[in-house]
Amino acid sequence: MISRERLERAVHEALALLRSVEDVREAEVFAASNQHLLTRLHYTSHLPCNGAEEPKSTLAYGIGIRAVFRTPTGVHVGFGSEPSDLTAEGVRQALAKARQSAVPDPEFVSLPQPTGEARTLTRHHDARLMNLRDTDLVRAGWKALRGALRTFLSSRRLAEVAGGRRQISSLGLILSGDVSIVQERIAIGSTRLPRVQTDESALCLTFLTAMVERFQAKGSGWATGWRLSDLTEETGVQAARAAIAAVGGIRVRSGSYRVILGPQAVTDLMTHLIIPGLTTRTFYAGNSPFQGRLGERVASPEVSLYDHGAARGLVASKGITCEGLPTGRTDLIREGVLVGLLSNSYETERLLRDPRGKEKLGTDPRRGRKALVPRNGFRRGTGGGRHFDRPPRIAGTNVVLEGKRPLSARQLLRLVGDGLYIGRTWYTYPINGLAAGDFTCTVIGDSFLIRDGRLAGPLKPNTVRINDNIQRVLKSIAGVGQERKGTFAWGADEVVYAPDVVVEGVRITEIAEFTEQL
Amino acid sequence: MAPAITVEILDNVKADIAISMRRARKAFRGLVYADLRLAVREGQHATAENGQPKHGGRDATMGLGIRAVAGGKTVAAGYYGRQLGAGELAKLPEIVREGLGHATARAGANASQKTALKRQIAGLGKSLTNTAFAPIDVRQEIIAAQFEIDPRSVPLAEIIRYTTEVSRTLTGLDRAIRYNQVTSLTGLSRQLFASSEGALIDQATALTEGGVAVVAEQNGIVQENWEAIGHQRGFEVLLHGVAEDPVHAPDLATFARELAQETLALCSAPPCPTTPDPVVVVTDPHFNALLCHEIVGHPTELDRALKMETAYAGRSWLLQDLATNQIGRRIASPLVTAYSDPALPGYGHYRYDDEGTPGRRVIHIDQGIFQGFMNSRQTAAILGAPPNGHAKATEAFLVPLIRMSNTVFAPGDRRPEDILREVETGYYVVGHKIPSIAESRENFRISARKVYAVRRGELGQLYRDGGIMADSRDFLMSVDAAGKDFRLFPIPHCGKGQPMQTKRVGNGGPTMRSLARLTGGGR
Repeated sequence: MISRERLERAVHEALALLRSVEDVREAEVFAASNQHLLTRLHYTSHLPCNGAEEPKSTLAYGIGIRAVFRTPTGVHVGFGSEPSDLTAEGVRQALAKARQSAVPDPEFVSLPQPTGEARTLTRHHDARLMNLRDTDLVRAGWKALRGALRTFLSSRRLAEVAGGRRQISSLGLILSGDVSIVQERIAIGSTRLPRVQTDESALCLTFLTAMVERFQAKGSGWATGWRLSDLTEETGVQAARAAIAAVGGIRVRSGSYRVILGPQAVTDLMTHLIIPGLTTRTFYAGNSPFQGRLGERVASPEVSLYDHGAARGLVASKGITCEGLPTGRTDLIREGVLVGLLSNSYETERLLRDPRGKEKLGTDPRRGRKALVPRNGFRRGTGGGRHFDRPPRIAGTNVVLEGKRPLSARQLLRLVGDGLYIGRTWYTYPINGLAAGDFTCTVIGDSFLIRDGRLAGPLKPNTVRINDNIQRVLKSIAGVGQERKGTFAWGADEVVYAPDVVVEGVRITEIAEFTEQL
Repeated sequence: MAPAITVEILDNVKADIAISMRRARKAFRGLVYADLRLAVREGQHATAENGQPKHGGRDATMGLGIRAVAGGKTVAAGYYGRQLGAGELAKLPEIVREGLGHATARAGANASQKTALKRQIAGLGKSLTNTAFAPIDVRQEIIAAQFEIDPRSVPLAEIIRYTTEVSRTLTGLDRAIRYNQVTSLTGLSRQLFASSEGALIDQATALTEGGVAVVAEQNGIVQENWEAIGHQRGFEVLLHGVAEDPVHAPDLATFARELAQETLALCSAPPCPTTPDPVVVVTDPHFNALLCHEIVGHPTELDRALKMETAYAGRSWLLQDLATNQIGRRIASPLVTAYSDPALPGYGHYRYDDEGTPGRRVIHIDQGIFQGFMNSRQTAAILGAPPNGHAKATEAFLVPLIRMSNTVFAPGDRRPEDILREVETGYYVVGHKIPSIAESRENFRISARKVYAVRRGELGQLYRDGGIMADSRDFLMSVDAAGKDFRLFPIPHCGKGQPMQTKRVGNGGPTMRSLARLTGGGR
């Protein structure tokens, strides 16, 4: 990893060089160094395996330049980057690419300018997580695996169903997932910003799935953290316990159910439908399920939703965006009413000037300006990181869902009475396009029947599919839980702080009966 | 000044890399195997929205990935990956040495932990085994890219102009088109694969792709479509289209216009009904490309079948364990044959995979009987099968996974018009849109670009927001006709692995007829 000081110096030097280039009207320099360390786990008791399959890392650093050029045909905007070179030569290369790629974008207003908000977050991570050794990486993975296997071995329930502790391995025990550490350092400066700023963060994410495959019993364990001490064996223990609890799952018939959606299921909906539908870019394109409804009710009054990139203690927090602007809280839905959108500088400015802006938002963009503050311009790649080789796009940070009258777990169960607890869903996609809001997914684990306000036994994974619509689901939320857990979906940008949520009338179809005979 | 990154610079380092890798076992204690991939990609791209240019770019990237297998009595794997800059070429031997050091250290630590856990958790430690690879012929070969118009020879300004022009045409087509985005990319890649076994594969490919997104609104009905064309060829793909059987595509301008017109037509169509029970459905080759991808391709990836993707992309209903599986059993009607073949042209074409294994055709379903899986060297060793060359990574610095090459339903002998004409009452499902598949691929719901009612063999009402849903085996077993109109399509966004790798693969098939539930909207 390149030090923060070196990145900062590179940006200062680059800006000095760019200021001397005659045809450059504005310029932004973004230097970044990222490392993604990951140990992927794969244990099967009934098939040969390696335990830790892939301890690995990817490393990249470099410099990216967005520049606005004066040309005889008007203003042109371009982006160029150079990997692994922070010197003046690297800057010249990146600038040459930016010049070559520059286009006369009539919707471009200016490079990001101060929003009037101040940075509130600095030094918010554990520096030790930045200096992880190869052996620490490997050990973190095995620690989680050890936790899961010990839990399986000490389970009376498994010993009972296997016919003895020695036969437990014949049940087909699986542990799969990863321990992942994302290390990010950036420096950014621009001719439009008052000073060069730096940011540094590291976070760890663990996601594990355990199974007792003979019974198709599946459970999940996950954790998010930003301290080295957050890498414990607890996630493995949690996953194994959840799998054991799922032994003996049964099918349910097709129908309409009152359900509790657990944190993973809520996160799936957030990542694939709600957050993509709550960006200025989607509103500009006209394909948000919430199109033209800023200021209107889009969800049950029980629901509030916000993104907070500057919340101390939440794992996806950053001091500044990848546009050099302060992160902060953006209220998206307040007590059911759509009040804000995630944005970056470019999309905010063009929506403010869009002749059809009022139609797209549902309100005059200039009157709704507070709803469009650019706090979410990030240069993310799949699996995290802040990448020097791409311009900023819109991405969530810490997305928090909260209830007006938060309920305890017991109250949520009582509210449902008879229904289902759906803990984990799969392939939750906007099946007819984002605008329609229709979605479908299957239920793959961590799920239970609810009878008389109590968990009555596990629902067999992979036996039901949900076919519903996100607008209907949001309006049918009857209760929101008190407890929230930092949760992330595979390949997602944001961490969702998701509670349990009660939804009325979820449409469920029974599937895959043929697998009972395999 | 450092030399620019070009695919040609690999010539300067090729011999040294081969030597370094052959000597790696002597240089690093405990190392039993290592391989390296070093790749350069030179590419250009452009994006236009609503007739205005938005982005352009011409760049080259270089990536390095190293795998080591090391340890003592027990061995395990470790990996290292990084992006490289032009200035680092001179330091490449040092960087390779450092990367091998990290990968070997991780592999060694991994092996130690494996040994320790086997001891500590005796009852469950037996399945922890040595990392082993099935043997392959060790090859040295050079494979050149195929193209008419070198992706590097086209001026970037011309790519931006052409892309913007196509977008502008859509903007002017109809006021109901509210948004359009057109993207073009064309590039040349070259990868060196070298191993401690002595392999040295030098493989180059061209790739050109055009993407079109359209949002249209009429009378309050919003319809959105996104689709891509592409081929492993030069910029001629976008200018002139493709006519290389079984890959066919119009030029980008025609393709974009047709997609926009289709989106407009859908705004006037009623929503698709949902049927409570299975009905007769005729699915066209484009729909079957995604269907084959999801219900044949993914469950026949052996890493998935061996539970290695349980937490991510899922498992496969085709294999419970080595003794209980569907190999040799009927899982489809006798009219269904499906296979993966890297020798076909298109996005899934290659000669060698990222382990240096020659890509071979794998028959998955032979006249309804399940035959076998795509594999890597490691998974082949577990199953006791010969490696068939399907371990691929999207970037050299990422770890190869088992991926589809060109995975297809084989053609039948029926004329597609006859397959439709025989339908008394049913639906014609045209073009794929978005899939949602059950975890072990036992059930699917896939939306279509268009659904038509079929009455007495004639196409009737067009519906929007439709698709089909079925259990995979039921659908495959119910196939009662397969056409001879076999086509192969690019599937540009197949996600797998952690961190997720989004890969381009090829999928295809002919027109087919089966039974499925029709699905409509959920409002």
